[in-house]
Amino acid sequence: MFRQAAYDEPLIRDMRSGTTYRVPGEHTETPEIPDSLVRKEINIPNVSEYDVVRHFTRLSEMNYSVDTGIYPLGSCTMKFNPKYADVMASWSEFRDVHPLRPQETVQGNLRIMYELQEYLKAISDMDAVSLQPLAGADGEFTGISIIRKYFMDQGTDSERREVIVPDSAHGTNPASAAMAGYDVVEIPSTPSGTVDLDALKSVTGRNTAAFMITNPNTLGIFDGGIAEIARIIHEAGALLYYDGANFNAILGITSPGLMGFDVVHFNLHKTFATPHGGGGPGAAPVGVKKFLEKYLPTPIVEKNGDFYSFKDVGDKSIGKIGPYYGSFMVLLRAWAYIRYHGRDGLEAISRRAVLNTNYLERRISGSFRPSNNSIKKHEVVVSASGTGKTANDVAKYLLDMGMHPPTIYFPLIVKEAMMIEVTETVSKKDLDAYADAMLASLKEDAKTSASRPVNTKVTRIDEVRAARDLELTWNDIHS
Amino acid sequence: MTEVEEMLKFIGVDSDERLFSDIPERFRKKSMNIPLHLSEYEILREAEAIRRMNDTAGYHNFLGCGTYDRIVPASVDSIISRTEFLTSYTPYQAEISQGVLQSLFEYQSVLSDLMGMDSTNSSMYDGYSSLGEAVRMAYRINGKKKVLLPDHIYRSKLSVIMNYIAGLDLKIEFYNFDEKTGFIDLNDLQKRVDSDTCAIVVENPNSLGILDPNVTKVQDVKGSALLIAYVDPISLGIITPPGTYGADIAVAEGQQLGLHQNFGGPFLGIFSFRKEYARRSPGRLIGRSVDHNGNVAYVMTLQTREQHIRREKATSNICTNQALMAIAALTYISLLGSEGMHRVASITMRRSAEIRKALSGVPGIDSSPFSGIPFSDVAVRYSGSREKMQSSLKKNRIWGGIPASDIINHNDGVTRDIYFFSATEKTSDEDIEALRRALEAI
Ligand SMILES: Cc1ncc(COP(=O)(O)O)c(C=O)c1O
Repeated sequence: MFRQAAYDEPLIRDMRSGTTYRVPGEHTETPEIPDSLVRKEINIPNVSEYDVVRHFTRLSEMNYSVDTGIYPLGSCTMKFNPKYADVMASWSEFRDVHPLRPQETVQGNLRIMYELQEYLKAISDMDAVSLQPLAGADGEFTGISIIRKYFMDQGTDSERREVIVPDSAHGTNPASAAMAGYDVVEIPSTPSGTVDLDALKSVTGRNTAAFMITNPNTLGIFDGGIAEIARIIHEAGALLYYDGANFNAILGITSPGLMGFDVVHFNLHKTFATPHGGGGPGAAPVGVKKFLEKYLPTPIVEKNGDFYSFKDVGDKSIGKIGPYYGSFMVLLRAWAYIRYHGRDGLEAISRRAVLNTNYLERRISGSFRPSNNSIKKHEVVVSASGTGKTANDVAKYLLDMGMHPPTIYFPLIVKEAMMIEVTETVSKKDLDAYADAMLASLKEDAKTSASRPVNTKVTRIDEVRAARDLELTWNDIHS
Repeated sequence: MTEVEEMLKFIGVDSDERLFSDIPERFRKKSMNIPLHLSEYEILREAEAIRRMNDTAGYHNFLGCGTYDRIVPASVDSIISRTEFLTSYTPYQAEISQGVLQSLFEYQSVLSDLMGMDSTNSSMYDGYSSLGEAVRMAYRINGKKKVLLPDHIYRSKLSVIMNYIAGLDLKIEFYNFDEKTGFIDLNDLQKRVDSDTCAIVVENPNSLGILDPNVTKVQDVKGSALLIAYVDPISLGIITPPGTYGADIAVAEGQQLGLHQNFGGPFLGIFSFRKEYARRSPGRLIGRSVDHNGNVAYVMTLQTREQHIRREKATSNICTNQALMAIAALTYISLLGSEGMHRVASITMRRSAEIRKALSGVPGIDSSPFSGIPFSDVAVRYSGSREKMQSSLKKNRIWGGIPASDIINHNDGVTRDIYFFSATEKTSDEDIEALRRALEAI
């Protein structure tokens, strides 16, 4: 039976063992600083190294992770993060490198970046790639900024003020478009979750800058209307944006380039197994078709003979989206993952991920109604409606079994949604255990359900109080 | 039967190919130009060969200007390698994720204390994007149409800001530095402030590397504009934090707090603000609350500002952030304590002073082109040939001497012939002596 570690761990400010970590160098007098700039007080806990390490080790033990077990958060692709990548990321030659070092002294890093650009092109069938964006949302923002630059060149930017997204889209899609200054037009999906072509036609026109979608979509369905979608968008002179968050279903099988997309972002922290770090870092390179290459963030990496170097994208570039070239250490891990699996292994990954999804769906669909009957790709969305339980009840039951729940209450178009993405790195045995647990959750009486979780560090949390009393730091603590 | 065969049988298909029958033939990929798979041993060997392509022979490092080679305590790397932190994700399920949540709450607390601000979010991508988001936040708060930036801001920082505000009805105007001191020209700034000024961005140390006492006076001339400060978090061990000079929003690049240089990423965006603005702020916030048994518990809060709920009306599009880097920074600060933070800052300043002193006698070099004092980035003026300087530095295995004209947006009398040599607590006497000789040998 599962019991999560439950230390009564104090806040670090309440630990008082006194600093033991030594900063080298003799004691120095405070340098001369203009009076108005001298810091009067500094209030940082003084804790011994052994207590710091124990504190964070104990905290870490109260945290579920991919290395702990199945973590099928839909849309997040929580797959096993390979350890060889950890080894490389610990090598000083890669990580103790200043971004402005002379290029001839960092040929190794540049080669990694160059090869990753090439791999991502091969995977997506796009013509050029920038590694600069820092997460999926940042990739979207970059992509939309590129699209704006393109229409500015076309002289139609003032007219093309709208970005269309389906109602099933991830929240970052409309948020990124709005951040780039666009009006967001949301269109409904068909009952089976695909793009409603009539709805799309009715809103697409001279005012459209782009349509942002992911295929397979957030319901895990491959939208067979994609050729028609691309035709509608391109005939209107608009561009088609691919949210690559769901790439895990199609590696080596199909690609956004083949489907007619103009701009795509990849989520390296999803598809390419870079660790999610408790919320980040990520990395989200952007790929484009040839006609958009000159708008990419600058610089990109090129290779001349045996020499790798940064190439300035030129004066049409959108410029910088981050300080340098992207999250290199994340790029390195993704490079390693792609190189390790190879074209054969990558395709096998998608095949297994899709098989696992369809298997799990079949195991639970007698009780949890899938959003529709199509074959699923990387994920499946089921509803807890009609089971007598809420999606939240089921989630809290899973927590008590020591399993991470799916994404719940998303996408918004499915009532009591449970979005399950198991990925390829989970055995049949674990899938069975997960399915069994989901089904067993339905058999509990209401009172037991409502009391869960009880095996985790804390029980259900008062979120209303958190938002009302707003304690964001220890200085805010009321009592 | 293998697992796979059992699963296929259960689903009722004979091959996984059937599971892709919904993808039209015309969209099926025919080829993918990537080599075949490797074993772990082989991939490590290949990576090993690639890391050797980097120049790893001994060198003297004076590169800085936003990214610094500082000591990373072993315990920081150890803690962020804990796979419970490394391989988890955003704590959507709070009950099973208290480790990350409490850590991020402590990060928000420690960083707020360091920055001298009320509140800090649980991380942004990096300092530059934090600054872009800060300007957006100011615009959300007062809706005014003009933002004032220092004329000599880094070009790439400016480019990021311009991308972040491209969709807003907000224009940029620049204010000057004083050529002699390297400080904000307060008269010039004051002249540009009007009733439609949304925000004033100040930097300390500024892009010339100089600690600027005039930042503390901007509050007297800012009128109704908001004050946004971009600071060096290491300097705050010794320099007064933005909260003491009236900053409404304060942001910083957190790379120096226990992160390796990482060839430019991942970094850490520190984002602090007055608590009254919390509901207008971007990014994830961790709040303290209680569970049903009355025990203290931490949970993501004010999520109704965020993209997954508010969609196109969200305060930002950010979703995945830099949580692991935040935990690294928290661990770093916790290890060093108040005294350690003070020491790193003061040693850095002493080293900067020593660089200036050592170079003061070198012919052709003006090592005090401004009367203001540098924190890490020491500006020197040299009007000889750039190529000759660089070749002498290279010959002597010195990395540094970034020309101001390469990184600073506006180049005029202030930045003319300026090069940067940056110090950290790692800079040694030998490094400085080697630099002096190399510059002497030009
Ligand atoms: C479909 C989809 N699009 C975009 C994103 C945003 O990606 P990120 O969190 O890396 O910013 C996500 C992930 O959270 C997603 O699932």
